Amino acid sequence: MAGEPINEDEALARLRDSGDPSMQYYGAWWLGRNRSQHPEAVPLLIEALQQRRPRDPGAGVEENAVARNAARALGKLAPAALAAVSELLAALADPDDGLREAAARALGELRAPEAVLPICARLAGGPAVAGARQSASPRLVEPCEALLEALGDIGAATPEVLAVIEPFTRHDWPLIRSAAARALLQLSGEPRWAEPLLTLLGDSQLQVRRAALMDLGAAGWRPAVDAISATLAENSLKLIALRGLVENGSGEPGDETLLAAMDALL
Amino acid sequence: MPVDPLITAVQQANSALELLQATAALARCGDAAAAPTLVEVLGFNNPGAAVAAVDGLIAIGGPAVEPLLRLDPRNYGARAWAVRALAGIGDVRGLDLLVEALLTDVGPSVRRAAAKGLGSLQLTAVEGDARAGIEQRCLDALVEAVSDGEWVVRYAVAVGLEGLALGSGWSDAHPCHGCTCAALSRLSDTALEETSVVRLRAALALQRLQPS
Repeated sequence: MAGEPINEDEALARLRDSGDPSMQYYGAWWLGRNRSQHPEAVPLLIEALQQRRPRDPGAGVEENAVARNAARALGKLAPAALAAVSELLAALADPDDGLREAAARALGELRAPEAVLPICARLAGGPAVAGARQSASPRLVEPCEALLEALGDIGAATPEVLAVIEPFTRHDWPLIRSAAARALLQLSGEPRWAEPLLTLLGDSQLQVRRAALMDLGAAGWRPAVDAISATLAENSLKLIALRGLVENGSGEPGDETLLAAMDALL
Repeated sequence: MPVDPLITAVQQANSALELLQATAALARCGDAAAAPTLVEVLGFNNPGAAVAAVDGLIAIGGPAVEPLLRLDPRNYGARAWAVRALAGIGDVRGLDLLVEALLTDVGPSVRRAAAKGLGSLQLTAVEGDARAGIEQRCLDALVEAVSDGEWVVRYAVAVGLEGLALGSGWSDAHPCHGCTCAALSRLSDTALEETSVVRLRAALALQRLQPS
């Protein structure tokens, strides 16, 4: 069964077995989750990234499920997965926006500077084009949240990149505004981009408050420590956000203050 | 305010929001007679109300322990909240449940609460050998959990070990002191602990236990 504990050899064997997508799906997930360093992991994941299959609603399987999971796994396998950057860039141009989303996140996790220009190109239309709703689905034309977060993670703080991101701080959806403010805060370090995130910590929707917590953590914005502790959300998420302040941030408040805030949430 | 109408309000709540508000009001009264009803709320699958109930049970303290320990182990959701309440109360009667939760519970947030709780049991009223035995059980469980798969549990183990050692009065020569420091050294070692914030917290605990 797919849900039983397996080892690395079994995960690689499942990924090789192209006759059974559900086994491949699990094998790809396992290799990423366990940060496999096996020399065959990246080549097999690159191969799996080429798979294209329609959605199978009967089996509850998403479109291109194996390829999407292969992209997600590659994002967790730096530095070996740097060999997969060109294939991930190709996936970033795929017609399937779900695969583009997975590829963008992976390129962000791999901090791949080659991805900056192609990502900016996808976002260049701004909220009214890239950030418009698809006609027949609740999704946006581009996976804006993943694209914006990837730009912040990659860290190329040029005026051109900042100018592409900035309009998304006025998107209709709070989750997109949160991702844009996070990227700008990461890239510029300017306190004014923390303000929208602190406001979103008080949003009426839990989902938005959770996203703002994660974004402040990713940006390592230490002055947010008290606001994070006071947010109406699960302590588990607040702890992840505070861990982000410790590990990604610097300056004041210092480590001991942040650790005391974490201790109080256990 | 008398406690009975507050209990009735919890029992008659018709919506999630009403339950949350009635539970928060009952939790604030601090009356030990509220404990059984607050424990019942833990099983209602309403996280907001459960958080309020846990706060109320911790404020009640000792008298809340028996109703918490009487919870049906098969009611997993309620037991998870009960572990948090017992960890916060710090009553020795919760020891078995906290040890079991730290070592076997499937939920990281439950193991996390149990680890912190094992470092903050109120042992001042317990005498001599009995106290040493309890401290040894807390220490053994925490040391075992140093290899937990979740960073947040290992973080809580570092906090628990610090609290246990500072509260125990072990001398530097006591074997338990050495054992605590060895576990914390492992958690602060770059080669053995992958999560930076865990290493940082364990190093801070070591510094507090070994002032030089």
